[in-house]
Amino acid sequence: MVSYKYSDKGTVIHRLNPWCKLAWIAAVFVLALLFDSPIYLLLLSLSTLPVILTARVWKEWLSVMKFAFFLCLLIIVINALVSNQGSHVLYQIPVAIPIAGAPRITLEGILWGVGNSLRLLAIISAFTVLMFAIHPDDLMLAMVKAKLPYKSVMVTSLSTKFVPALIDDAQCIADAKKSRGLELDRGGRIQRVKSYASIAIPLLSNSLDRAVQVAEAMESRAFGSGQKRTFYKELKINKGDITILSFVFFSIAFGVFLHCSGQGGYQYYPVVGAVSLTASEWAMLFVLLLMVNAMPILALLKRKVPLD
Amino acid sequence: MISIRNLTFYYSGSDKPSLRDINLEIEDGEFVLLTGPSGGGKSSLCRCLNGLIPHFYGGKITGKVEVNGLDVTKHSTKELATMVGMVFQDPENQLVATDVDSELAFGLENLAFAKEVIARRVEEALDTVGIVSLRHRATSELSGGEKQRVAIASVLALYPDILVLDEPTSELDPKGAEDVLNVVERLNDELGITVILVEHRLDRVVAHSDRVIVLEKGMITADGDPRSILGDGRISQSGVGIPPIIKLAQVVKSKGNLIDNTPLTVKEGRIALAKALRHSERFASRHSEHPSLSLRAGGVAIPRPFAIAQGDNKESVIASETKQSHLKPLIEVKKLWHFYPDGFVAVKDINLKVCPGEFVAIMGRNASGKTTLVKHFNGLLKPTKGDVILDDINTREATVAELSRKVGYVFQNPNDHLFCDTVEEELAFTLNNLGVKGEEAESLIDQTLERFDLMQYRYQYPRFLSGGEKQRVALASILVAQPRIIILDEPTRGMEYRLKAELMKFLDQYRREGRAVILVTQDVEIAAEFSDRVVLLSEGKIVVDGPKREVLSRALLFSPQINRLAQALKSYGVPDDILTAEEMIEALA
Repeated sequence: MVSYKYSDKGTVIHRLNPWCKLAWIAAVFVLALLFDSPIYLLLLSLSTLPVILTARVWKEWLSVMKFAFFLCLLIIVINALVSNQGSHVLYQIPVAIPIAGAPRITLEGILWGVGNSLRLLAIISAFTVLMFAIHPDDLMLAMVKAKLPYKSVMVTSLSTKFVPALIDDAQCIADAKKSRGLELDRGGRIQRVKSYASIAIPLLSNSLDRAVQVAEAMESRAFGSGQKRTFYKELKINKGDITILSFVFFSIAFGVFLHCSGQGGYQYYPVVGAVSLTASEWAMLFVLLLMVNAMPILALLKRKVPLD
Repeated sequence: MISIRNLTFYYSGSDKPSLRDINLEIEDGEFVLLTGPSGGGKSSLCRCLNGLIPHFYGGKITGKVEVNGLDVTKHSTKELATMVGMVFQDPENQLVATDVDSELAFGLENLAFAKEVIARRVEEALDTVGIVSLRHRATSELSGGEKQRVAIASVLALYPDILVLDEPTSELDPKGAEDVLNVVERLNDELGITVILVEHRLDRVVAHSDRVIVLEKGMITADGDPRSILGDGRISQSGVGIPPIIKLAQVVKSKGNLIDNTPLTVKEGRIALAKALRHSERFASRHSEHPSLSLRAGGVAIPRPFAIAQGDNKESVIASETKQSHLKPLIEVKKLWHFYPDGFVAVKDINLKVCPGEFVAIMGRNASGKTTLVKHFNGLLKPTKGDVILDDINTREATVAELSRKVGYVFQNPNDHLFCDTVEEELAFTLNNLGVKGEEAESLIDQTLERFDLMQYRYQYPRFLSGGEKQRVALASILVAQPRIIILDEPTRGMEYRLKAELMKFLDQYRREGRAVILVTQDVEIAAEFSDRVVLLSEGKIVVDGPKREVLSRALLFSPQINRLAQALKSYGVPDDILTAEEMIEALA
């Protein structure tokens, strides 16, 4: 069983300043968008693994990835069916489908799907760290520091906090309904929608009750008192964090430079390009990924040699 | 200091006042127990004390509420937060931070205290409430009792003079409730914080309170020190559950016996009753040739009448056992094991039979496997190993909906049951699922509504009814299908005594029709009074299974108040397996 909420595993990654983790996620995100080459994207996806492993969230990561793989499969299949611009035809579907015509499965179509799937995997992989390795309070403080209005940040954080309660609630209501003879998973589609609607109504009412109660409790503890709020916990940035941040930001800049100098690009249509890299390209990519991974590398080093 | 003058309050859109003409002065450092039937206005009164009424709720308010000289209508809840700390009923819905120390800091941060002050106060609050060990824990991982203590600490950090607790223990198990009440008592004793506590479990807190206020239909109907309020029996009509010890003392006293002070605790009861017994013993020996005299005087003629009473009880237990043994069991659990997906083994090797006409209480601490076990009885959970046979059907081979013809399952929160537009539709929904339609359904609905006294609510929206009424609708929506087995999971948690007794009366009737009632409960008094068999679970195993008298008497943890008294009075010839005040009165008569 994987619970989809933050739990403090106490690893170096969990302990780290949230800005470092957010910067890393941003870096992976930007780089994933900059590059088109499947090799670059594959290695970028793989380069998120050290962080996942150091943060010991691989179980959670794996369960998210299962879903992501399914999504990727969908992208590859649909793209292969829909995109007909490729020139290496692998299979011509003999029957015509309305609107789409008779699809041609091409090597280019499949490769494009694979490339973009890798892009997606890299991004999703990085975002699991946001979910499972950044303390919600840290995230909230970071958002407030970034000048987002406190009330909005608080409400967002609260709504994620009550998701597990909502799931429990829904389960309980479904059980109550089944105990009253409702066959939730039987009958036609319309019947099923109706059955599930019977869960939605009490769930909604319960949630509204809950919202009023939470609001009342917050009001009683002077929430939104009009004064400028203070914060008990502060985000401390130490030298180590700054080092990591500089590496990660530099990696983004470096990525942009590589992109502008024509590296990491790739041509899918109309004819697939070669995927080979020159020795210098390999070296640059290696340096780039090393910098992106400054976080786990330095965090692990820091454990042995205190930087601050 | 709190001073309320001529307070009347209407919720917006309501033409009935929720509070009417309240006049009240509460001195600093008082421990006030606020009680009364549900819908009596207790929560509304609490909400007036920190300005949630009228600032948060709106509505129409007349009269004056002053807290430390501040008029609550002119000062916001936020301003009052440093004077009045509020703790609410549901532990789930009042914690907003991710971990405990941020939770404690939340109020202080809102009021813009400096970081150093916050750090100091968080430390103090953790220490005062005794939850230092929880400081780095995630609030979502705490138990209910721990959550409530965190909630108390989080308002305590604001240095309030007054602590208002609105049924803080009604969602908790007995252990959690005990922890919370201990903290509240200590805050009152040691720090002199004024405490206003809304609570149904009078037996636990009454001894500690300086003052009991009863609120009914928005009005104060009794206000005074606990001994005089509870001792004279006036308020028992209002549906307030009089603790069994006090009930007993009232009867003994009314028979002219020597009880000069209403006992509030088992200890006081022990002393008072022993004194009364000694007194009548002397009395009886002096008039030994006229034993009837001592009886008429209400004195206790010992030990013959006890022996008879005891014999009666034993016989009835045996009778009911033999009566049932030849019946075919409705539920048969064979070597049941259940593993949750995370590897937790919730029930281990359970063997159990439940026969028609039985009223079984399933008891045990939190997480002892009670709910897991009963969820097998209607197929909500399927056995990992072993079998559950329901009237010849193996639950593995049937869906929950199919089993619902035989088993009714009532969940703790009636809100989880109710979703239709009218009470009538709720009942029709169940019947419709089971394929009962037309005239047959009509007549079943009529009968059930009649039986549960719900006719007048037939066309009302169920969720707008009061707590007790909602519970009745939920129960009616299950029982309309006339299942042969009914399971209730903690139905009495947080329920006032009158409603509990009402519910139990329904269940008792139902059982007499040859059906089986299975009650999951942590309420020892309820089990002692209404069940006839108790199954005690611990760590997923059955520890004891037997007639209630065997299980509940002479037990340490799970013994009712009166039994603890009876055990102490053994030397006076009081049988030590007495469980309820009624039995004790009978034995003494």
